[in-house]
This record gives sequence, structure tokens and C-alpha cells, in this order.
Amino acid sequence: MTANKTHPIRATNRRFQFWTRNGAATIALVGMWFTTPAAQPARSPRNANYSIDATLDHAERLLTGREVVTWRNISQLTTSELRFHLYYNAWRNTQSTWMRERAFGRSLDLHHRRESDWGWIDVTRLVLIGAGDDLPIDLTGEATFIAPDDNNPNDQTVLAVPLPAPVSPGETINVEIEWTSKVPRTFARTGTIGDYYFIAQWFPKIGVLEQGGWNCHQFHTATNFFADYGVYDVRLTVPNGWVLGATGREQSVTDNGDGTATHHYYAEDVHDFAWTTSRDFVDLRSRFEHPDLGDVDIRLLLQPEHRDQAERHFNATRQTFNYFGDWFGAYPYDHVTVVDPAWQSNSGGMEYPTLFTAGTRWLAPTTTNGPEEVTVHEAGHQFFYGVIGNNEVEHAWLDEGLNTFATARAIDQYFPHYWERRFFGTFIPWAFTDIPWSRAIDGSRLARYRSDARMDIQATPTFRYWPGSMFSTAYYKTTLWLHTLERYLGWPTLQRGMSTYYDRWQFAHPKPQDFFDTISEAADMDLRWFFDQVHGDSAIFDYGIAQLTSRDTAGRGFFDGAFRDQGSSSTFETTVVVRRYGDGIFPVDIVVEFADGHRERREWNGRSQWTVLRFEHATKATSAVVDPNRVLLLDVNYTNNSRTTTPRADAAATKWTLTWIVWLQDLLMTSAFII
Amino acid sequence: MTLVIRAWVDGLRRVATAPMLWLGVYGLTLAATLPMGYVLHQSITMHLGASTVSTSVAEGFDTGWWGEYQQAGSGIARTLVPEVIGFAAVLANLSSVADGELPRGAVAGLAVVYIAVWAFLVGGIIDRFARQRRVSSAGFFAACGVYFWRFTRLALLIGLTYWVLFAVVHPWLFGDLYTAMTIDTTAERNAAMVQFSLYGVFGGLLAAVTLIFDYAKIRAVVEDRRSMIGAVAASLRFVRRRLAAVIGLYFLNVLLFAAVLLTYAISAPGAGTTGTTVWLGFGIGQAYVAARLFTKLSFYASQTAYFQGELAHARYVARPQPQWPMSPMAEAISTPPDES
Repeated sequence: MTANKTHPIRATNRRFQFWTRNGAATIALVGMWFTTPAAQPARSPRNANYSIDATLDHAERLLTGREVVTWRNISQLTTSELRFHLYYNAWRNTQSTWMRERAFGRSLDLHHRRESDWGWIDVTRLVLIGAGDDLPIDLTGEATFIAPDDNNPNDQTVLAVPLPAPVSPGETINVEIEWTSKVPRTFARTGTIGDYYFIAQWFPKIGVLEQGGWNCHQFHTATNFFADYGVYDVRLTVPNGWVLGATGREQSVTDNGDGTATHHYYAEDVHDFAWTTSRDFVDLRSRFEHPDLGDVDIRLLLQPEHRDQAERHFNATRQTFNYFGDWFGAYPYDHVTVVDPAWQSNSGGMEYPTLFTAGTRWLAPTTTNGPEEVTVHEAGHQFFYGVIGNNEVEHAWLDEGLNTFATARAIDQYFPHYWERRFFGTFIPWAFTDIPWSRAIDGSRLARYRSDARMDIQATPTFRYWPGSMFSTAYYKTTLWLHTLERYLGWPTLQRGMSTYYDRWQFAHPKPQDFFDTISEAADMDLRWFFDQVHGDSAIFDYGIAQLTSRDTAGRGFFDGAFRDQGSSSTFETTVVVRRYGDGIFPVDIVVEFADGHRERREWNGRSQWTVLRFEHATKATSAVVDPNRVLLLDVNYTNNSRTTTPRADAAATKWTLTWIVWLQDLLMTSAFII
Repeated sequence: MTLVIRAWVDGLRRVATAPMLWLGVYGLTLAATLPMGYVLHQSITMHLGASTVSTSVAEGFDTGWWGEYQQAGSGIARTLVPEVIGFAAVLANLSSVADGELPRGAVAGLAVVYIAVWAFLVGGIIDRFARQRRVSSAGFFAACGVYFWRFTRLALLIGLTYWVLFAVVHPWLFGDLYTAMTIDTTAERNAAMVQFSLYGVFGGLLAAVTLIFDYAKIRAVVEDRRSMIGAVAASLRFVRRRLAAVIGLYFLNVLLFAAVLLTYAISAPGAGTTGTTVWLGFGIGQAYVAARLFTKLSFYASQTAYFQGELAHARYVARPQPQWPMSPMAEAISTPPDES
């Protein structure tokens, strides 16, 4: 079977390139609304293609749109319905699942928004486009809201549309949808403030049909998104003169003569489309050039007040493409747009295909973490999210965790910086130039993970995580266990595994087991024992030295039937008791150092609750350390990993107490200004 | 202007010539922190135990250990944060006041006690500066005792005023008003300017209130006033009639305060290591504390000097007391300044 299969009722009037069953790409540009640029060879299945025409009414903050979705069933299932995400309805009222979940672990601040700040999306027309002389079939009245995750009758973020005839595997269907959206004051990093718009999750987006049925979750507060790859051909009409950036490349701008302009964007092999517009953007360009990784045009839409930070954004983006490209594989697109979000827009730090939002502050010292970390992280998502299209709703750690790990690694390579605190309403930064940022501790937010280590098992679908600890479970725990693997297997092995994973699962929807299999394959060892603990369990890792003693080996008592006091000998027996305080198991090394500088290293599989190690040496032991190289970064208490006979606790305590006393004196004097 | 500068210089001289007073308030400020410092020391020592991590904690700021300590600790241990290091401590504390964040827990309790002790001492301090001569410890504390109950009554007014400022005005300024002014602002710079302007407004209110209560205390001591409401009213009259001068004098003292902060900002130690450098850093910190207390005293002294320069006349004395503690005004009349 090599021919394209189409839906028996209405599918031949295809407007888009689509994927054929034998893998060949076909371009069928029939009855075009638009003229699209020459398509590139398909890198993805391109089974969810969109042609969108939308107009922004700035005065009313309304978005009216029309789209044609050309969807091909690439699953092995026949479906009798379609499901669409209507994310904007998460902010229709306080009864949505998104709003309810957000109230779990946080304040109700969003519940008290002004009337004008809410948002919604209303589908006004939904029809199947017929083939040839077939008339369109209006299904608007058939569509119903469903809540597959929690049965919340008030949630309207998933629309189910029953079909008059089922769509079989390989068949293609065209659906035309018209809608109106009220753009909210930003929720979940989409919305508007002033003359700034960041518009994401804004159009009716079809779910993913998998072997188990439709994967089309409601919008949850702790999750991102999941969609099939396709081609997006989008025309956006906004006030004339406003700068607009979007997923893909701009093809043209047309002045409509009525105070508006239409921007035409086109993107291939992407699974989402986001855009931004503002009259204030400073539009800057740069380029990433690399002989092996290819060149990338970088467009930066910068807030005027951050003009002096332009190069920092460009550099961070270039560094990401360089490091991630070197480690995992090339960025496959030739363009990217970096958006510097407006103050208070709450749209910063978010990834979309070929476009992402960074985020910085008006005062951002070069010695502290200004725009760099967030830029690297979001640029990194172009790899783990953009190119590797895992299900973020169910397995967010697969992109967020891998990317946070790689972000920390890249930041560590090119941007040494220091801790920062902000004062006076957070406007004034202060750099602690004697507290350097550490990849192992700060890059993976070990402290955050430690406090949330038991909150959820990572294998739980992300949308079921406790919202307040999602970052700890999906981002930081993954970073910690990947960094642990890096130290355990060695970077070359892990890098080989991750680059294989990147190569193998480009433009596809890998699942956790796919990643585990790839890493195990690269390491040439069965790592299930590790993944089962860090992913399939919420095990706590904590090893420690419980006892360190050195005694003269000379004995006293009955030897060979006679009482003897051997006095002293020339050797000492050192006893080290190592304990496993947590339930997590990991092989560890123990290093004992003796007074003459001699060191001995032992390995322990770490399985039993405790073990005793004995050493005979000419001098007493001075210290014992379990996991001296700190391979196991998941260890929640590293202080107890060692004992020494010459502790400096008193010196350390004195130093910090004296420092603290000056602070307390200052606090008292500051408080006493009232008298 | 000359009078203002003369009063300010005179105030500095009065502080400088009362070293025991200066030393006393410094000793108080140090002693107040020692019990909690001991608790913190024990807490850190216990947490580190015999771990080799103690070396990295001693040699710098070990962020890994700090995270563990923060999670394991409570109370005072939670206050050991990077902000205690060097000049960040000053910024953090000033920022807390500016942002209306009050200390919590045991530290808050200590602050209340410290303020109460100052409330007790301030009568004696002003008395000392007004008399411009050495007084015995007994005399000093007797003066403190005489004014304590008056200042306790005044403290009710002061407390009520600051409560209004921090519980009503501050939330309105930085909550409702700031939000209304910046709710649709898309440039952080503009929001910062609004915030800083509001700091200016709130700082101005704090300064005005402090100024009025300072002169109320001074009038209560110098004129031996019993009615604290009357003292506040008299202070208001005094300030209103010499607005530029009292603001100018206050500003000179604020400049001195800023100079002390700037000097400390330049010289403040970082995380440091152990041994001599720790004690050197502590010494610099104590020098800063002493300088800042000097500044606090200079507010009282210079304002007392200015007040006495303006109204050192018998008819302004509410009720001179011929017996000890003799009111400074009565003493000034009986002993002309050039003979003191």
C-alpha cells in the first residue's frame, strides 16, 4: 500500500504536504488559501498540519481566527472522533482544572483578577471539508467538552468532536474551525499586558492519537504540552508597525491599508506555533555559525530597557547551539527567535518551536545569573522538546530534566558566575563574589529536591504530580540523577547515550523506556536497578560514616592459653562503620586516610543497611569518607558522609557566628531607628 | 545655615566627648547578640560534627552544606543565610525595613528587647548630651529612670504612629498604590522608579515622624516636661517654626550615616576563611557598628545642641528641678555654656 489513503467522505482536498504510508513526502497544494514556500524534505511525520488566519483586535484584546487542520491518522487505531485542546478556556473562570490545581499549593492571587483579565476561546464553527463535490459537514453542534483526566464538568479545555464516519489508520481528514478568543492578562505565560502580546496555546489544537486512544489531556497547572509534528502556515494580522515574531520564518508582511498589517509565517516539522507582537520590541539579528553544526539565524526581540544586554542573549543562544550541538547533535532548523518578555508579562522562560522567551532584569550584573541561564535553558529546549517531541503532559522530566541537566553543564562551561540576592522590592541586585555558582549544587537545585524528595514518584504522569513540587520531581531530580550517571558512567558514555537518543528520536514521541534503553545500550550495562529507583520510586539516598576508630593492634587477654598484655604494637587497626540511612541503593567508594598520608580505597555495593571495614596500618586513621568524589549527587546529606579525627567544626562555627553577629547587630540598630 | 552646621559639629563633639556613653551602647549592641550567637555556634558545631565538610565551611561558603543545614535547622539556624555576609547584611536589613518585612521568631523578640532598652537609655543619653559634662553611672541611670516612665508613655504614641505607618500606610503605598501605578507597566525601569519614589515618600514620613519624636524627647528632657502629649505638641511647634533648619540638620546626620554605610560597603569583609582573617573581618564589622552607633548618637546630640541653641531660656522650661537629677535647662541657666 503506497498510495495516500483519504477519508471516504471528505479528505481529498488536501491543502498541505502530508506524509504517505510508505514514507514518501507528497505535496498537494490544491485549492490553496495561501501560497506556501517551497517545502523542505520532511523530517517528521507531518500528520498535524495547520493553515491559520488570525486577526488581533488590540482595542478589545480579541483574537478571531480560522484554521484548517489537516490530520492524518498515523496510529494503528481507527477513531470515530477527534479531540482538540482549547487551552484558553483554562482561564474562563475559577472552576477550570487549571485554576483549581493552581490553588493547591499556591495563593489564590489569580482568582481575584479584573474582569478584563480573564480569557477564553469559543469555537464558533467546526466543519469537515468535503472532497470534490461533497458538501462540508457542520459538526459545531456535535462538539462537546470532555474532562478525561478528572471529570471536572466545568473544565472546557478539551473538545470532543464525533465523526460521521471513522478515520482509519493512514487516512487523512480536513477540519475547518473558526473561533474567537479573548486574550487574557497573562496566565501560564500566554496573554497580554499593555502593548505586549505573547500568544501561545491559542488555537484549537488536535490531540495525539496513540495506541491507547486519544492523548489529549486537559490543561493542568503543572504541565506543558504534547502534539504531533506538522507544517504551520500562518497569517497574523496585527496593528501596522508593530513588531511580530513567531514560530518559523516570516515570509511576507502586507500592509492592509486599514491600520493593520498581515504577517505570514511558515514552519515545517514543528509541533506548536507561538507568536508575539509589540510596538516596543527592538528587533535585532545575529547568527550562529559553525562548520559542522550549520548556521542559524538568530532574531532577538528585545525590550528597549535591556538594549545593553543584547549580546548576552545572543551569546547565550550561540553557546547553547554550540554545546548542545556538540554534545547531542545539530539544531536542525536554520533560524530561531529569542523573545525578551515585557516586565510583568509573566511570559518569560518558555519554549516553543524555533522561538522561545528568555527573561532578564533591568539591572543584571554580568557577574550574576542574568539572562544567561534562562536563555540557555529555553534555547536548549529547542533540542529536548522541539526536536525530541516527548509527551510533556505525562513525562515532563524527559525534556525538562534532560534540558536542565544540559543547561547546568553548558553554564558551567562558559558562564562562571556568583550567587545573587535582590533587595528593595527585588530591583537592586547584589552579587556574592565569594559564593560561586556550582553546577552540582545550584545547577540542579539540590536543596529544592531534598525538601521534595518524597513528594512524588517520578514515573507518575506529570499532570498528576503535586503542583508545588513538580519542578523538584521533573527538573531537579532528573538533573541530579543524570549528573550522578555522568559521574558514575563517565561523560563520554553518557554523552554517547544522550546523543544516540537525540539522533534516534528526532521528530518523534519517545517514552521514558526509550531513554533508559538508549542509555543502557550506550553504557553496555543493565541500568534498571538505577532507573527503577530514581524514576520508578521516590527512594532517598543517604550514606554516612557512622564510626571511625583506630586502636593499637596489641592485644590483652588470654592468648594460647596464657594471659598476656602486649602493651603497644607498631600497627593500628582502624574500624570504619558505613551506614545506609536511606532506602536508595547505590555502589559507593570509601576512602580512609591515615596520619602518614597513606590512603586506602574500598568499594561497597551499598546494599546492606551497614558494613564494617577494617584496615591495619602503621598509623591511625585521620579521616574516612564514603563517596569521596560525590558521585551520588542524590545523597541528601553529604555532611554525614565523612568523619575526621581533626574536625574544624569549631573554627567553622566561630567564623559564621562572628559573621552572623555583625548582621544581627545591624538588624538591631536598624530596628532601633524608631527610638 | 551656619547655626545648623554649628549645631551639627557641636553634636559630633558632644558624642566624641562622651566616649563611655558610646562605648556603653556599643557594648549593649554586642552583648545583646552574644546569647543567640552562642546558640548558633552550638547549632553549627553540632551539625558539622566530625565531618570533613567542616573544612570547606570554614574556608568559604559551602552552598551544599548550607542547604543541608537550612533544612535540618530551625529558628536561629534559619537566619544564617548568605545575606549575613558583609555589606549584604546592611542592604538586607535596610531592604526589610523599606519593604515592611519585620524580623521573625527569636530575632524579633530580641529586637523588641533591644528597642525597649534603648527607650530606657535615651532619656539619660539626651540628658548627658544636654549637660555636656561627665556624669557618673549612677547619675546617668538615675536620669534614665526619671525619664523612663515618661518615655514609656511617649513610646505608646511612637508605637501607635509607627504601627500606622507600617501596618496601614506602608501596605497602602507599596500594595494598593504601587499596584495601581504599575499594574500595566511593561518596563521594569518605570516600575523601579515608582518603587523608589514611594520609598522616598515613606522614608520622608519616617524621617518626619522620627524628627518630631526626637525633638519631643529632647524637649521632655531639656525642659523637664511631664506631659508627653505636650512634648510632642511643643516639638511640632519647634519643627514647624524652624523647618528648614531642622531638616538641614537631619540631612547632615543622614549624610554622616550614608558616609558610614559607604565606608563599610568598601571595607566590609566577605565570606573569608578562618583564623586571623575572621577576627579581622569581625573587627571591621565592629568598627562599622561603632560608627553607626556614633551616628545614632549624633542625631540626638546635634538636635539637642540645636534646640539648646535656639531655646535655651528659662521661660521655656516647663518645670525645672533644683535637685538631682537636675534638668539640663536649669543647669544651663545656672552654669553659662562658656563656663562648662
